[in-house]
Amino acid sequence: MSEIYLNDIAHGRSGDKGDTSNICVFARKPEYYKIIEREVTPEKLHEFFGDMVKGEITRYDLPSLGGFNFVMKHALGGGATMSLRLDSLGKSMGSAIMRLKIHVDEGEL
Amino acid sequence: MKKIAIGGGQGFWGDSPDAAIHMIRKGDIQYMGCDYLAELTLSIMAKQQLKDPAKGYAPDFVTRILQEAGKEAWQKKIKICTNAGGMNIQGCVDAIKKFAAGQDMKGYKIGYVTGDDIKEKIPQLLKDGWTFPNFDYDGDFAQILDKIYNCNAYIGHEGVEELIGRGADVVVTGRAADSALFLAPLAYEFGWADDDWDNLAKGIMAGHLLECGGQGAGGNYMYDWRNVPRMDELGFPIAEFTEDTFEITKAPDCGGIICEQSCKEQFLYEVLDPANYVTPDVNVDISRATITQVGDNRVRIENIHGKKKPDTLKLCVGYHKGWKTVSMLSFAWPDAYEKAKYCADIIMKKMKRRGMHADDVHISFIGLNSLHLGVADMSEEVLKNLNECVMRIAVFSEDKSECMKIIPEISPMQLNGPPGASFFGGRAHVQEVMALWPTSIPRDAVDVRTHLIEI
Repeated sequence: MSEIYLNDIAHGRSGDKGDTSNICVFARKPEYYKIIEREVTPEKLHEFFGDMVKGEITRYDLPSLGGFNFVMKHALGGGATMSLRLDSLGKSMGSAIMRLKIHVDEGEL
Repeated sequence: MKKIAIGGGQGFWGDSPDAAIHMIRKGDIQYMGCDYLAELTLSIMAKQQLKDPAKGYAPDFVTRILQEAGKEAWQKKIKICTNAGGMNIQGCVDAIKKFAAGQDMKGYKIGYVTGDDIKEKIPQLLKDGWTFPNFDYDGDFAQILDKIYNCNAYIGHEGVEELIGRGADVVVTGRAADSALFLAPLAYEFGWADDDWDNLAKGIMAGHLLECGGQGAGGNYMYDWRNVPRMDELGFPIAEFTEDTFEITKAPDCGGIICEQSCKEQFLYEVLDPANYVTPDVNVDISRATITQVGDNRVRIENIHGKKKPDTLKLCVGYHKGWKTVSMLSFAWPDAYEKAKYCADIIMKKMKRRGMHADDVHISFIGLNSLHLGVADMSEEVLKNLNECVMRIAVFSEDKSECMKIIPEISPMQLNGPPGASFFGGRAHVQEVMALWPTSIPRDAVDVRTHLIEI
C-alpha cells in the first residue's frame, strides 16, 4: 500500500453559491473512479478541511461522468460577499482538495 | 435537418470581448448569449446607480461588443441575448439605441424584459405574510429591510423567447437566470413547450456549459492546462442542437479546447445536487448524463432529464452588511514567514491596546497559506526556504470607525517592526461589505413584461 495525493489521479473545479462551495472531482482514468469512491468520503473531508469548512459535506456520485460532486456548506468564511479570505469565491478549493492524501494498493495505479 | 448553434459570448462583467467578436466574425452561429451577472453584481450595479442614475448596467456589452461587431452580427442575422441590463435595463436599451442609430442600422429591433426587480413589492409581500426565509442562516428579514440595495427575482426564458419570436435582434434582461438566455432561442427554434421538461433541461445545460465563457473551452482547466492550445486567443464554447443531438464545439481558428474533461469540469461547476439542479425553467437532472468526444473539439452531451419547474423563484437580495479593511506588508528571506507572523502579532497587540472592536479578523500569509488556509503545507522545510511572504490582515466590523483604526498602524511597521517590511498594494482603505440574503418568492409575485422597439 502506498500514499499518494488525490491530485495524482484526479482533476476538478470548484465554484461558489453564497457560503456553499462545490468541488467536482473526476478520475483521470476510468479505473481510478473506484479509488476515489473508497478514499474520498465526507468524513475524511471533514477531518481534512477542519475549520475551513464549518457545515455539512455531501458527496454526490456520478458514475456516468466518472466523477463526484462535493457540496460543502459554510465553507467560504461567509461567502463571496462577506468573506475576509483572499480567495473569497473559493476558486482554490478545487486545488486544496487535491492535497488530500489517499491510500492505494499495489496494482491499483 | 435543422441545426441551431448558439455561442457563449461573456462569462461575467469584465470578461474579454475577444472571443465574442471572433465568434461573430468566424463562427457559424445563429445566436449568442452574453452573461454579465454573478451573485453580487446586481448589488454593485445598484450602488453605482444610486450615485449616478445613468449607471447600473453593464456598458461593456455596448462599448466592447456591439460597437465592435454588433452591426456585423445584425447583418449575419446573429441574434444576441444578454442580461447586461442589470439594474438599469432602460439605460442599457438607450445605449443600444444610440449605438444602432450611430451605425445607421435602420430596422434593428431591440427587445427587453422587465419585472425581475421587485424591491418596491417587498412591503406588500410582507403584508401578505411572505417571510423571506434565509436558506443559509437564521435571521429576520425585517432587520435588513432598510439596508437592501437590490431585490431581484431570477426569471426564466419565456420573455426572451417571446421577443425572439417577435423578431428582436437583441434581447436585454435584468436578472434572468444565466442559462435562460441560452434556453430561450433553442426553445423558440425547436418549439419546445413550457412543460417539455427533458428538452428544456437540455437547453439549460447548454446554457450552463456556455454561461462562463472561456471556462467551458479550456480556461481554468485543471486536467491539462499546460496543453490548451493558444490560450492567448482562447475561443469560447458554442452549443449546436438538432432535434436529436446536443453537442459542444467552438469557432474555427481560435485557441482553447473542447474535450470530455474540459466539459466535465464546467458541467458540474456551481451545481449542488446533480439530480435536482433547480432553475426557474425546469428542475434539471444530470445525475446520469454522459459526455462523449465525437470529433475534433466536439463533444456530445446525452442523458439529460428534466422535472417540473419549482413554484417559487429564487430571489437575489443584496444588502449592506458592514465594512472591512485589508492591510498587507511583505517580507523576504531569511525567515520571511517568521517576520511576517511576528509583524501581524505586533499589529494585533497594538489594536487590542487601541480598543479595536472587530466582529471578525482573518490573518493569512500570501505565498504560504492565504489560499489553501488550513490545508496548506506549513512544514519546517517549506517555511525555511520561503523566498518571500506577504502578511495579510483583514478586519470586518459593522462600525466603519472600527475598521479605520488599523490603517495608520501598517506603514510604521516598515521602520518599527521586523526587518525588511515593505508596503504591498498601497495604503489600506475601508471597503463596504455587502451580503446576500438567499431566499425565494412565489412565482405570481413577479410581473414579467416584454417590450420591443425598432430603430
